[in-house]
Order: sequence, then structure tokens, then C-alpha cells
Amino acid sequence: MMDMLYNLGLGFAVALTLKNVFFCFVGCLIGTLVGVLPGVGPVATISILLPVTLALDPTGALIMLAGIYYGAQYGGSTTAILVNIPGEATAVVTAIDGHEMAKRGQAGLALGLAAIGSFIAGTFATIVIAALGVPMTKLGLLFGPAEYFSLMVMGLVFAVVLAHGSLTKAVAMILVGVLLSCVGADMETGRERMTFGLHMLTDGIEFVVLAMGVFGFGEIFKNLADPEKRDLVKGSIGRLWPSLRDLRENMGAILRGTGIGAVLGVLPGNGAILGPFASYAMEKRLSKRPQDFGTGVSQAVAGPESANNAGAQTSFIPLMTLGLPPNAVMALMVGAMMIQGIVPGPQVIERNPELFWGLIASMWIGNLMLVIINLPLIGLWVKLLQVPYRLLFPAIVAFCCIGLFSISNEPAQVMMAGAMGLVGFALWKLQFEAAPLALGFVLGRLLEEKLRQALIISDGSMTTFVTSPLSAFLLAIGAVALLVAVLPSIRKSRDDVFKDA
Amino acid sequence: MSHEVTNPPPPRPLIGRERLAGLCLVAFGLFALYASADLPFFTEGGVGSGLLPRALSVLIILLGIVQLAICWREPPESTGSWPIRDMVPVLVGIFLFALTIRGFDFGSFKIPVLGMAVATPLAIFCSGMAAKDARLVELLIFTVVLSALCIALFRFALGLSLPVAPWLIGY
Repeated sequence: MMDMLYNLGLGFAVALTLKNVFFCFVGCLIGTLVGVLPGVGPVATISILLPVTLALDPTGALIMLAGIYYGAQYGGSTTAILVNIPGEATAVVTAIDGHEMAKRGQAGLALGLAAIGSFIAGTFATIVIAALGVPMTKLGLLFGPAEYFSLMVMGLVFAVVLAHGSLTKAVAMILVGVLLSCVGADMETGRERMTFGLHMLTDGIEFVVLAMGVFGFGEIFKNLADPEKRDLVKGSIGRLWPSLRDLRENMGAILRGTGIGAVLGVLPGNGAILGPFASYAMEKRLSKRPQDFGTGVSQAVAGPESANNAGAQTSFIPLMTLGLPPNAVMALMVGAMMIQGIVPGPQVIERNPELFWGLIASMWIGNLMLVIINLPLIGLWVKLLQVPYRLLFPAIVAFCCIGLFSISNEPAQVMMAGAMGLVGFALWKLQFEAAPLALGFVLGRLLEEKLRQALIISDGSMTTFVTSPLSAFLLAIGAVALLVAVLPSIRKSRDDVFKDA
Repeated sequence: MSHEVTNPPPPRPLIGRERLAGLCLVAFGLFALYASADLPFFTEGGVGSGLLPRALSVLIILLGIVQLAICWREPPESTGSWPIRDMVPVLVGIFLFALTIRGFDFGSFKIPVLGMAVATPLAIFCSGMAAKDARLVELLIFTVVLSALCIALFRFALGLSLPVAPWLIGY
């Protein structure tokens, strides 16, 4: 306990320097700015803004990126409430009742509750991270290659179980992702694999290229093919600050959402995405008037938004302590850390304590800042939402191109991202989900590395994955999860959770 | 023709979305199998560089077959329209950006390093033409303003070493 307070003290000392507060502020601001644009989710936002952080020192860059992430999340919710266009899966739930509230002139209340709920969730999640950081890192140090391999397999299984839609397709997407990560020079022998002699593939496919192509350009192609219906709320936004009565009515939903989101966010394999759905389902079940859900119930905004934010934050835990990114956003964070010369994993907390704790402290500051800047600036966001799409997407194209080029300094990468955009469009047409692909891609290289290391240690014996108790345990959890997901009855209730919302 | 059919009934799809998805998986798996065919499966030191790619390719093919089996009896669902033509301007914009930002050597002729001052407006203007409701004058003004903003932000405010206009101002 004292350690935790001491560590948090260290973190705040780092995060509260004028420079870092400024980076956090700028991150939140531009994150919201881009995240508010319809059709631009957090993954696209972070990829677009990644180059902005290149010139900073590692701590500042990560603090800014975290700010961008929260800003993008919050901006996405704003868009969901005001225009009914969720930028990503987790904002889908917010859009249902949030937009209905907005139509009734309660947009302000929905936004205010979302902000306050997010802040409470963020505060709680910060404490969870601070408390779990050290023990999880110790756990991480116990992990050998075999255990890491099994943990990643388990995470990927979870990603399948938690994905929407067809299981077969989700599994296939993960495998394709892992396969794509194999392209490029073999990490042990340096031998080129599946590059077809193309120079730009020698170092493998850059994750940023994949992400910007599939999530950035792909999204534009999708919108061109199927113009979104922008249903911007006209008329008054209403008051922003909820009354004491509103707060009392929603506090339960906020706290429950926070709890659910925080727990699910820690799961490897994008558990965070499930948080808002689970919270919505729970609030509906607890409500005295479940039939009202879908017509603008404030708890249906406050709960999922809190769950969303709590999960967004606790999903940093597997990344910072074990070095495993649980979702596409965290995968981008890995990319950003690598650019800064930091390899995420249990060693970060030892070697760069000020970075680790500074980042955690800045998470809380970022959440506070979102409340402070977003509510007064709501008028500006509404203005932004009125920018027609015909001008919006050329701007996104330009940002993506400049970003891609500035990261790699290689024009071929820009072209490759364009081609990836077509792939992203085809995936959407065939109803493949891109998120498992991105996750498989990110974990792929690590997966192969650990597989090989484990097999070298065990002299080529595959049994090493089941003879180590920890590894066997992790694989067993994965197997059970997969089995459960395939069982028809559970499968139905899984669909219900998503359908409900 | 005096009256136009506003909503033509969707043509009955031949393959259908789900089957096409399965076929794509099989095709992709076969392609990956071909691409990794020359890699060693095992080496003296342990797992060879071909083990994982080939195992994955086989699994992807199998999943494609499973996918085909699942949806074989269901009526095919249309994938909707594929308005590739609408996307061409965006792709052209992206490619022009890539070709001009640092120049390109085709052998027979060379594109010089034109830098952000040329590449950015090209990307914005070309992709902007993709919108069905594009307005020429508005787009032109927007292109100029946004390009200037981009150069100011990325080159000067953030200090990234991007070529701006070497042919004009030397960097």
C-alpha cells in the first residue's frame, strides 16, 4: 500500500511537470478533435496522430499518445450521441440511447453523464493499475517462453470468443494476421520469407501501414460505397451538468459499469470491447422499466460509457506488465514505444519507473482534462460535426499519407497502405472483422519468437507447453473458453449480449 | 424509356457473400502455401522458418472449407455493389502522393523530389474528386488551405524532416 502511494507520488511528480501536463493536454485536445470526426475510430485517430509524437522524448510521447487515446474515445462517444455514428464497436452501445436522448434535447445531459462517468471510471481504473502493476510485473517475470506462448494463445482465443459474428471467420482472421506477420526476414536466420523479392517487404509489413490501410483508408472506401446517414441533432443541446438528482439516479450505473469494464479490460484478447455491452445488458436487467431501454434512458449511457473508459484504461495492464497488447489500440502503442526505443514488458517498470508511473498518473490527469476541456468546447465539436464528408475524407487521406511517409520515409509504404485499404473494404464486404486480424498480426511475431525459444529450450519437444503447470493452465482456460463459445446454448446468449445492445 | 426503375431487384447472386468468404480463405491459404513453399520446415537448430507459415496456411484452407460447408445449403446473400470506380480517385491521390513526395525513378524517366508542396495538394484534390457531391471551387480552396496547414503543422510546428519544396526553397 505504502509502495503504491510512493509509486503514484513518483508518477505524479513526473506527470505534473509543466511540459508533460502540456503534452497530455494537447493529446486530449487533438485526440478529441480527430476522434470527433464521424467514421474515425480510436485506431485510425492514433495512427493518424502517431507522427505528431515522434519528435518528443519517450515519456512525453507516451503521455501524449495516452491523451490522444482518451480524447479519441471521448470524441467517438460525442459523435455517437450527437450524430448516431459510432466510430468503433464500443461506442455502438452509447449511440443507442445517447442519440435518443439527444433527439429529446438532452444531448448535454448525455454528454455530461458520459464525461463524469468516464472520469469516475478513470479514477478507479488508475488505482487498479497502480495496485496491479507491481504484482503483475512479478508474475510476468515468472513467465518463460512456453508460458508466454500459451498466454498469447489464450488471449487470441478470447479475441475470437469476444468477436461479433461468425466464429470461423474470426479464427480465420486471427490466423491470417499471424501469417501476415511472418512476412519478411526470418528473425533467426535472416532468410526472407514470402517477400517475392520485393524490397519493401524485407522488413515485414509495418503495423502502422496495416492499421492505417485497413482502418483509415478502408473506412473511407466503405463510406464512399455506402454513404453514412448523418443524423446530426439540431436544436438545443440542453444543460451539460447533470443535477444532483440525475447524478443520484445514475451513480449506480456508473459504478457498476466501472467495475465490469475494469475487470473485462484486463483480459487479454480485447475484453474491453465487451464492457459496454455487458454493462448495457446489466442495466437493462436491473432496471424497473427495461422496456424503456432504447428510447433514451440515461443509465444506458452512463453505465456503458463508464465501462468503456475503465476497460480502455485497464487494457494498459497486460501491455505494460507483460508486454502483450490486448487490442489494436494497444498494438499501436507498442509500435509507438518501439519507435521510442522502449520494448514493452515486465522490464519497463524496473528500468524506466518514471515512464511507467508517469504514464499511469497522466492517465488520471488526462481523464480530468477531458472533463475540463470537453464540456466547455462542446460547441466547437458540434461545428466540426457539420463539416461535410466530401471535405473530411480528403483531409484524412492527406494526414494518413503524410503520417505514413514520416514514419517510414518510404513512399512504397504509402502505396501499400492504399492497397491495404482495398483489402479492408473487401473484408468489410465479406463481413470479416478487421480487429482480430490486427491483433493476430501484432501478436504473431512475438508468438513465433516464443514458440521457437520454447522449442529450443525443450529440445524440440512439443510437450513443454503442457508439462509446465502455468502454461498448461493457461492453455486449459483457452480450451474451455473456446469450447464454451462453440456450445450452441452459450453461443446464443453470447449473441444476445451483442444483440441486446 | 419513359419511366426509370428506381429500385431494380437485386440480381440473384451467383456465389453469395458467405461462400465467397470461404473461397477467399481457401485461395489465400493456397497462395500463402505457394509463397512459403521454399522455406525449410525443420532445421538442425529446431523449428525452421517455414513451419509456422505453412501450418497457418493449411489451417486457413481448412477454415475456408469449414466456412463453405456451413453456408453451402443456405441461399446466397448478395454482397451489394462494389463501386470500385468511386474509389479510384482516392487511390490515384494516394499513389500520386507516394510518387511525388520523394521522387521516383522509373528508369526511363524520373520524377524529381517535388515534396509536400506538390504531393499534399495532389492527394487532397484527387481524393476529393471521389465524392459524388464534389464542388470544384470549394475543393480547390480547401486543397490550398489544408496543404498550407499540413506543411505548417508537420514540417514547422512538429519539426519532422519532410521535404517541402526542394525545387523552390531548397528543403
